[in-house]
Amino acid sequence: MTLIWIGRVALVVALGALVGGVVDQAVALRHRRAGHALWFALGALVGILGAVAAMEVALVTHNFSLAYVAANNATFTPLLYSITGMWSALEGSLLLWSLLLTLVTLFVIYYYRREASDPVVAWASAVLFGVGAFFTYLLVVPASPFVHNPAHVLQGAGPNALLQNNPLVAVHPPLLYAGFVGFTVPFAFAIAMLVTGRVQDRWQLEQRRWTVLAWGALSLGIVLGAWWSYQVLGWGGFWGWDPVENAALLPWLTATAYIHSVIVQDRRGLFRVWNLSLAIATFSLTVLGTFFTRSGVLQSVHAFSSSTLGPLLIGFFFVCVGAGAGLLAWRGDRLRSAVGVDHPLSREGLFVANNVLFVGFAIVVLLGTVFPLLYQAVNGAQVTVGTPYFASIAAPLSVVLLALMAVAPLVSWRSADAGVLWGRLRTSAWFALALVVALVAFGVRRPTVLVAYFLAAGAAGAALRTLRGVLVAAHRRGRWTSALRAPSTGGMVVHLGIVILALGIVTSTSYTTRAEVTLAHGQSTVVSGQYVSFAGFHEVKDALETSTELVVSVGGDQLRPAVTTYNGRNGQTVGTPAIDSNLLRDVYVTFDAVGGNGATSGAQVQNGLPAGSVVLGVTVEPLLAWLWIGGLVVGLGSALSFLRRRYNEEAA
Amino acid sequence: MRRTITVASLVVLALCVALTVFLGTRRPVGDATTVQSPLLGKFAPSVEGTELDGGHFDLRDDRGDIVVVDFWASWCGPCVAEAPNLSSFAWRERHDKVKVIGVVFDDSVSAARAFQTHYGSLYPSIVDPNGDIANSYGVTSPPTTFIVDGQGRVAATLLGPASTAQLVGAVNRVRR
Repeated sequence: MTLIWIGRVALVVALGALVGGVVDQAVALRHRRAGHALWFALGALVGILGAVAAMEVALVTHNFSLAYVAANNATFTPLLYSITGMWSALEGSLLLWSLLLTLVTLFVIYYYRREASDPVVAWASAVLFGVGAFFTYLLVVPASPFVHNPAHVLQGAGPNALLQNNPLVAVHPPLLYAGFVGFTVPFAFAIAMLVTGRVQDRWQLEQRRWTVLAWGALSLGIVLGAWWSYQVLGWGGFWGWDPVENAALLPWLTATAYIHSVIVQDRRGLFRVWNLSLAIATFSLTVLGTFFTRSGVLQSVHAFSSSTLGPLLIGFFFVCVGAGAGLLAWRGDRLRSAVGVDHPLSREGLFVANNVLFVGFAIVVLLGTVFPLLYQAVNGAQVTVGTPYFASIAAPLSVVLLALMAVAPLVSWRSADAGVLWGRLRTSAWFALALVVALVAFGVRRPTVLVAYFLAAGAAGAALRTLRGVLVAAHRRGRWTSALRAPSTGGMVVHLGIVILALGIVTSTSYTTRAEVTLAHGQSTVVSGQYVSFAGFHEVKDALETSTELVVSVGGDQLRPAVTTYNGRNGQTVGTPAIDSNLLRDVYVTFDAVGGNGATSGAQVQNGLPAGSVVLGVTVEPLLAWLWIGGLVVGLGSALSFLRRRYNEEAA
Repeated sequence: MRRTITVASLVVLALCVALTVFLGTRRPVGDATTVQSPLLGKFAPSVEGTELDGGHFDLRDDRGDIVVVDFWASWCGPCVAEAPNLSSFAWRERHDKVKVIGVVFDDSVSAARAFQTHYGSLYPSIVDPNGDIANSYGVTSPPTTFIVDGQGRVAATLLGPASTAQLVGAVNRVRR
């Protein structure tokens, strides 16, 4: 009970500090002086930290008098999954969201503390406090994590089985949320710039840094989520165009557009209003995504419980878009720059193409996500918009984006000179062609794969050429380290990461082979060139789980695909795939069925199969590991881009 | 002065109002899914036992009525979500030859009683001390709901927290 009251009081303190922050900034703006933003942000953080501490103590000590703990923890839950239990259901996830948002708010306010009297900073702080207050309000009233459990239970339900068998659950949600939360900063500054009318100031360019940070966290979060589902869900895939995945992809797409178009504002002073719109859209899409995943209006494989937060979240979405669009309507035309794009094939022209593609992609994904609801409203029937729709659009768009990546970094600003461009493009073009010829010689015939490799080689060439330029310049200055913080280093490393990731996706999805093999004890077989043998069962039984593992060897390496029943919550039974991964290929083995009297193993029993035999699903996916490597390179690149020199440092 | 941005923003604003109104008026989809069960069409296994309130329940006494058998436990989160729906369903259909019976699954009697009191359940629940009833129905995870028709045959199986509308729909299909 004490913990419940500590948690509740701490949340009320945080909410008070955040509302106080808004009021304080309003008063400060009225009297044209600096407010006390830092103190209010600190107060909010102390409150949220108190609530988080109360929740974690309750989880780690298995205090089932908290309803949330009883529903998401059990006495035998290992420490790591007790800690991650905080974000394994709605209320705790919101608590994590609020924690990250207050941290970001405090960091931003501290970073700009010397400019606290600048109205842009004051307005932005007020918006940050306001958004924080909204999410903390959700925790105080409609989705309180601190609810007393009147039943005196001695055992909790334990976390969802899928959330307690892979440590990635400790990093994937926090990174994803850090990304979502990070987009609050450019949104807050966009509103501030529109209100004060100071669009041409450096504030916009400053925002790129924060957006890159959030973008990097979101990208890593998305890739780790794909990795998690690949390792846990047992279908061998990593992306299913599920509403929850789309919810993360939507802001990622508009943020990617923003990161690129802000460069144009930096160099040419164009796209000021457009950039503000993208910042507002990105944040609004994170709120819309939260609505999709938390309101329960969409059917999703992510079994999030539907909550009563739907109307509040959609209302908040409306407030965000409404404020942004209203301010743009009021101010937009006066703030636009007088000049335009000189030549469609100049660098800025290609940035426009980039933006059209990313925003178009976002609209297509949004339509596909909402379409089942629209269809149901009109026809009353249920439809699913699945992979075929999304893939049919994502594939051609990705091809055009790769082509842009191959050309755009080499094109000059303002003008398009074919001779100069060809001079820069020549080496990578010939290399790409040679690669395609070599692939054809090795027997690769699929046009999609050949096109992808050709364009990817070109894109990598463009990135490497730019990086070489940076290195040469750094060498001339005699300081190698300055290359790391050069303006284009981070971005080009991200491009390289995307190229690696794209090749991983194209190759693994084009050349996947799937087979189901039936093996008796001691038998072996060859599946797509992989020597697979089955050496017997291995039973694991402890307080946490009852598991039947199969001892399988793939080309000499031992794998243990399993079917596991977790104690606690409904005795959920999940299959756990085993993966033998190297840089060339992944072999993905699942325990699909067992013959004879297999009831004890929890696996599906197949009739007509002799006892002791098993059915294995074997999937061989070439180059899949490069998807994760590419994702990590993207993360590294965004970190470099965050640390890049400030714009005012560049001149020096 | 050109007014393109103003016009575009107002268009976006209008679209956003439409989207908000549309999404805001959507109802959450029911979480329960109708599943295929080997019991479908077969005679329902026996449900007999002592109710939490002390009475005695036997499924055979209700032949001719539609009986909704719901397996639940106090420790199960989705059961918490489902409890009010079951209550309102039971209340709504109480004069229409429909009975709702809960079966407490893998739980202590005191916790189940506390749950029933806390959520003001409007339907009785019986105790299944050794999990025999749950075993005979093949229940692995609560909440699982079986609809038993007037002839005593299993007509539908719902997995997960059922909404009132889902229960009404399932029962109406059985009546037809």
